[in-house]
Amino acid sequence: MKRTTLAACSALALAFGAGLPAQAQSATTGKDLNGVWQAVNTANYNLEAHHGEAAMQLRDGPVTPVPTKNLLAFGAVGAVPPGESYVEGETLPYTPEAAAKRDENRANWAERDPEVKCYMTGVPRSTYLPHPFQIIQNDDQMIIVYEYANMVRNIFLTDPGEAPVDSWMGQSYGQWDGDTFVIEVTGQNGESWLDRAGNHYSAAARVTERYTRVDPYHIDYSATIEDPETFTEPTTISMTLYKLVGQDARIEDFNCVPFVEELMYGDLRKEPLQ
Amino acid sequence: MNKTLKTCLSSSALAVALIAPAAFAEPPATDYEPPRMDDGTPDMQGIWTNASLTTLYKSGDQPLVVSEKAAMAMAGMVEASAEADAKPTDPNDPAYAAGGPEVGGYNRFWMDFGSALAKVRGEYRTAWIVDPPTGDLPYTEEGKAKEVARLEEQRNDFDNPEIRAAAERCTVGFGSTGGPPMLNVLYNNNYQIVQSPDLVAITVEMNHQTRMIRIDEEHRPDVMRQWLGDSVGHWDGDTLVVETTNFHPDISLRAATRHRLYMSPDAKVKEAFTRIAPDEIFYEFWVNDPEIFTQEWKGEMILRQAEGPIYEYACHEANYSLPGILAGGRREEAEAAKNGGSE
Repeated sequence: MKRTTLAACSALALAFGAGLPAQAQSATTGKDLNGVWQAVNTANYNLEAHHGEAAMQLRDGPVTPVPTKNLLAFGAVGAVPPGESYVEGETLPYTPEAAAKRDENRANWAERDPEVKCYMTGVPRSTYLPHPFQIIQNDDQMIIVYEYANMVRNIFLTDPGEAPVDSWMGQSYGQWDGDTFVIEVTGQNGESWLDRAGNHYSAAARVTERYTRVDPYHIDYSATIEDPETFTEPTTISMTLYKLVGQDARIEDFNCVPFVEELMYGDLRKEPLQ
Repeated sequence: MNKTLKTCLSSSALAVALIAPAAFAEPPATDYEPPRMDDGTPDMQGIWTNASLTTLYKSGDQPLVVSEKAAMAMAGMVEASAEADAKPTDPNDPAYAAGGPEVGGYNRFWMDFGSALAKVRGEYRTAWIVDPPTGDLPYTEEGKAKEVARLEEQRNDFDNPEIRAAAERCTVGFGSTGGPPMLNVLYNNNYQIVQSPDLVAITVEMNHQTRMIRIDEEHRPDVMRQWLGDSVGHWDGDTLVVETTNFHPDISLRAATRHRLYMSPDAKVKEAFTRIAPDEIFYEFWVNDPEIFTQEWKGEMILRQAEGPIYEYACHEANYSLPGILAGGRREEAEAAKNGGSE
């Protein structure tokens, strides 16, 4: 092709491009949650205020608590960074029985935390995992795709009625309340935790999430958990979600199922590793 | 048309022809005007299914295209067998023989593989493959050998979890349900499509994986292998064209009750989605894998609109099968040792 023709082609392409319907011109604020988002905080370690600790699971040491043997090799990588509380009122309003269960969960973290086994993490914990998630939303359809464990939530935009069956991610029904998108989550199966500190809730929970895009790069997020089997009153957590930008702002394939096969099935190998 | 534009179009066509000689979307001509997204692209959103009696390749002596009468007869037989299976069990029936064919597996209640042959381009077809025209998978000798070797391994090796089929491990669903190409299996043949200007997402019901098709973007580096491959797409008129490669090596054999397909991790799959009716997407797919196949081969399928919703297929969270299979292997070894034989 002659150089002049090539130049003319490029010019034509530009001209045609300019005439196309505006792609990716969606609003960057207001009623638009599209994008890749991530919480950048310590909520997944512990929703409540906490100081830094040597590990997620500790045992008594001769002087101070030390990491349990199974976590020792992680060193500083396995430490818990300190963080403020994300709970309105500072602490989760547990019933005495539920508080005891939290303590037991914490003491047996590695054995019990669903995240360790690559199980789906439910709502609200999925929002503040150390992985991004992507919201794809328009007037007719909405899904939230989480990088961790290939989790996905379909958000019903018309009332689906009662959840037909309990599930790990529950049933989500969302609608705009002014500039805030409100999602009612019901039908979770009660297996999910709230963080790595053993905080938990039950299958009776109704979770109300509120997403408000306050500027192009931030969402004010809150989740209210009504769960009389676990809490003496409704409790609300809140945090900021940050929009990922740049070439790597996308969801990768973190299919962690094969990563836990040695943990879960290693003892069933023909020749178990020593 | 002015001369410059004409030259541009003909040279663009030439360039495309050089890059991809065989794979052109050829949806059937239709007057149907699809609904559109705000950016003008066709709206293919919603729940779709490929449940069908039609399967990937030619089955035995069955003709590739059958008459309407024959198609209806097949559908009738499927319905009749489902009805028969749904009848209450006779309490006076004897117990099944231990280890017999009736023990284990599912009865029909759990299956949802469809009840009719697909009508593609006005024909009742028994196979999705249209090229080669024989409806067969055109394996090279090496490709066939690899398929057979992996199948044998999967059938006979219970030593380690990593050897087992991807579906048993719950890393992805059965066969090539997640694809691409997205092929119909025994159940959960449902997909949800959600669109934005820079992304088309396809959620596969089994196992809740979402293929994020990035529009007008480049592939990730080859080291970044994905279980459903790395998909990028573009709009060619009203057709969504998707190219996928860099598959995880553990998904090379996609063996299900309704198809068996071996592809190398570097296989290139091209797909074309064209909405041709309110309730139909014409789905074309090409597989290019010179190590495994003698030619690029093509399939044509209809994705039908489904009522939905998509359910949560929580496979790994309740995977009793994989530890059961491994434990069965250990039990057999223990019994063989007890009986004094080598296992």
